[in-house]
Amino acid sequence: MTSTASERSAALSEIGLDGQNQATIGRLLATGNIGHAEEGDDGRMRARIRIVPDQLIWDPSVLVLPHGGHLDIEFVNDDQNTHCALVPSNGDSKWMWLPNYSRGTMSVTLDGPGYYWFSSNIGNDEGRGLIGAIVVRGDVPESARLDRPQQPRP
Amino acid sequence: MTDIQDRPDIEYGQAPPAVDFGSLTTAGGTAPPVAQDVTYERILDARSEPQNWLTYYGAYDGQRYSPLDEINTENVVRITPAWVFSFSPHGLHAGQSTYAFENCPIVVDGVMYVSGWDGWVWALDAKTGQLLWQYKHAIPFDVSLCCGNVNRGVAVAHGKVFVCTLNAHVLALDATTGECLWDVTSGDVRAGESLTVAPLVVKDRVVVGSSGGEFGVRGHLDAYDMETGERVWRCYTIPKPGEPGSETWPSDGEAWTRGGGNGWITGTFDPETNLLYWGTGNPAPDFDGEVRPGDNLYTDSVIAVDADTGEIRWHYQCTPHDLWDYDSNMECILFEQGGRKLLAHFDKNGYCFVLDRTNGERVRIFPFVDRITWGEISPEGQVTPRIYPDKEGEDVHFYPGPAGAKEWTHASYSPRTGLFYVPVQDTGATVARRRREFKESIPYWGAAVTVDIEEMAGSVSAFDPSTGEEVWRWRNDLPMCASVLTTAGDLVFAGTPSGRFVALDARSGELLWQFNCGSGHHSSPITYSVDGKQYIAVPVGWGAWVEGFLPGMMGGPHGQAMFVFSLPEGQDSSGGR
Repeated sequence: MTSTASERSAALSEIGLDGQNQATIGRLLATGNIGHAEEGDDGRMRARIRIVPDQLIWDPSVLVLPHGGHLDIEFVNDDQNTHCALVPSNGDSKWMWLPNYSRGTMSVTLDGPGYYWFSSNIGNDEGRGLIGAIVVRGDVPESARLDRPQQPRP
Repeated sequence: MTDIQDRPDIEYGQAPPAVDFGSLTTAGGTAPPVAQDVTYERILDARSEPQNWLTYYGAYDGQRYSPLDEINTENVVRITPAWVFSFSPHGLHAGQSTYAFENCPIVVDGVMYVSGWDGWVWALDAKTGQLLWQYKHAIPFDVSLCCGNVNRGVAVAHGKVFVCTLNAHVLALDATTGECLWDVTSGDVRAGESLTVAPLVVKDRVVVGSSGGEFGVRGHLDAYDMETGERVWRCYTIPKPGEPGSETWPSDGEAWTRGGGNGWITGTFDPETNLLYWGTGNPAPDFDGEVRPGDNLYTDSVIAVDADTGEIRWHYQCTPHDLWDYDSNMECILFEQGGRKLLAHFDKNGYCFVLDRTNGERVRIFPFVDRITWGEISPEGQVTPRIYPDKEGEDVHFYPGPAGAKEWTHASYSPRTGLFYVPVQDTGATVARRRREFKESIPYWGAAVTVDIEEMAGSVSAFDPSTGEEVWRWRNDLPMCASVLTTAGDLVFAGTPSGRFVALDARSGELLWQFNCGSGHHSSPITYSVDGKQYIAVPVGWGAWVEGFLPGMMGGPHGQAMFVFSLPEGQDSSGGR
């Protein structure tokens, strides 16, 4: 049987897929919270992402940007273990240590539209749940679009 | 955004500052400024500096031939690995199951410029393999890729490295540091467009062709100003109503708007005709021709494009009204014979087309694979389809399968032997038409497709273009799915799907040397020299559209390494630290 989208959250919890060492050993990916970046007057976007204690989950685990551009992310590690953050960015991926109870900011540049995974790429943090998504909304510039009538989309 | 507040019981420390992930490698950060002096004039005369591989095919003529001969039929048995550059990604990236190392390296005065799958560009010391700098473009996980996460190479000129990205950007990087100098969005990822092509520098422009034919886009070539990134021209390969060629599409409806015809493989160029010779891809939907009656120009064609204006001067369509996915993207090799300026194009449909490159006139057509059942093309160019998907849901089986008797991987030509050397795939497929509604960004094949995993064959075959006769054949039990390289040492280098890299005698096809690289080949090997010492470089990394060209090797190891070979004397493998 299947569950509806509205039932999904409750079902994940009931089965024990949204926590550590319940139904599965780790936490099923993309079961965390969804957050939105804020856009400043300078056009830069900003967000804060935390690591939840003993949950090996980014909060939010899905960060939504209104469009491509520059994003400043403050990472906060509330966990009692050391992790790190590897985040895609044009030029090179950015990487930082996140020792226990530490915070730090990194700046990344991403094109839109599309989505990107970020993670803590040590141990098997990724398998346990520390993979998150940055979702970039919007469209490509008009100059990059095909010269054709509007087409149907799914 | 909603935010969880800091915990009052924690006294937070400052995390160490973020760094570029590439700084945590052996990269030194800079390359010698060798690319500064690479000009259009040097690329025009690329074969006069055989120590370098200045452009995608080695020279504008697409011959993939090098005058280097230190390594030859007498001593090739002694060559050994000089160095290996290996790379493996961190985190998740697009096409994790389907990436391949399809690159063709560029070498300029001891520096090798290499693009990887998923947005990587590396500058390497071509003598030692030392990583000099690394660039990484962030590629969305959800880009539309019909045929794997791949990039076929970069172009280098005027101190810049030009590269395309899977999310349809064109970039110019500083060749000494890898810093991005300009970045233009060339295509629409929401429409299913991407870029996998190696750019071609012509005059002061960078020419690229789009990908996305399996998603029902409208194919195009674009030329960008090398210094600014401004688009100079765009050439659509599917005409709008009223434009020349539009009579080959239904006069009503929207078939042309999603007609395909993408130019996803680098073209060749003749400065005397000022024409780019570019192959175009399949029409969309690939296998359901009933929704697009007509010849469907300029799909599956060789088009001659004015390098200054982007106008199509002439065309030759290899598979009119394609029902088999027979793209004609593969290279057009320029050569002269009997005082005529010719080009040779080995097509997916199993035939080689020799054309007069001044006007597109047919000179010769000949088959280059054993099994051709889809139809027949006469020496006069008459195309007779015989087996094709027609009735809804009814299986038909034909040779060659949709990957063709030769996919995009390139043939070569030796002016010393006068022969063409062709990587041949002899594989069939079963296809049933399955009509579907067009929706932007969703695959638009119009069929169910399964490619054979048995009764396959492959070869490197040598052909005399003056007669179309096969002169020799080196047989492989699996199809050959990688480009070949020819040198003045009378050698033909080719990689197999099992990982073997082989050297053949260009005059006889005799196997002279082989090395197991550990992963299948699906790239373009090159040769170059540093301090007078010749090297052979081959990117190794099996993957991409394996379900299309060799599903019998779907389980083959991916691999991801640049192997470089030379004679053992004076090797310097000191790269790294």
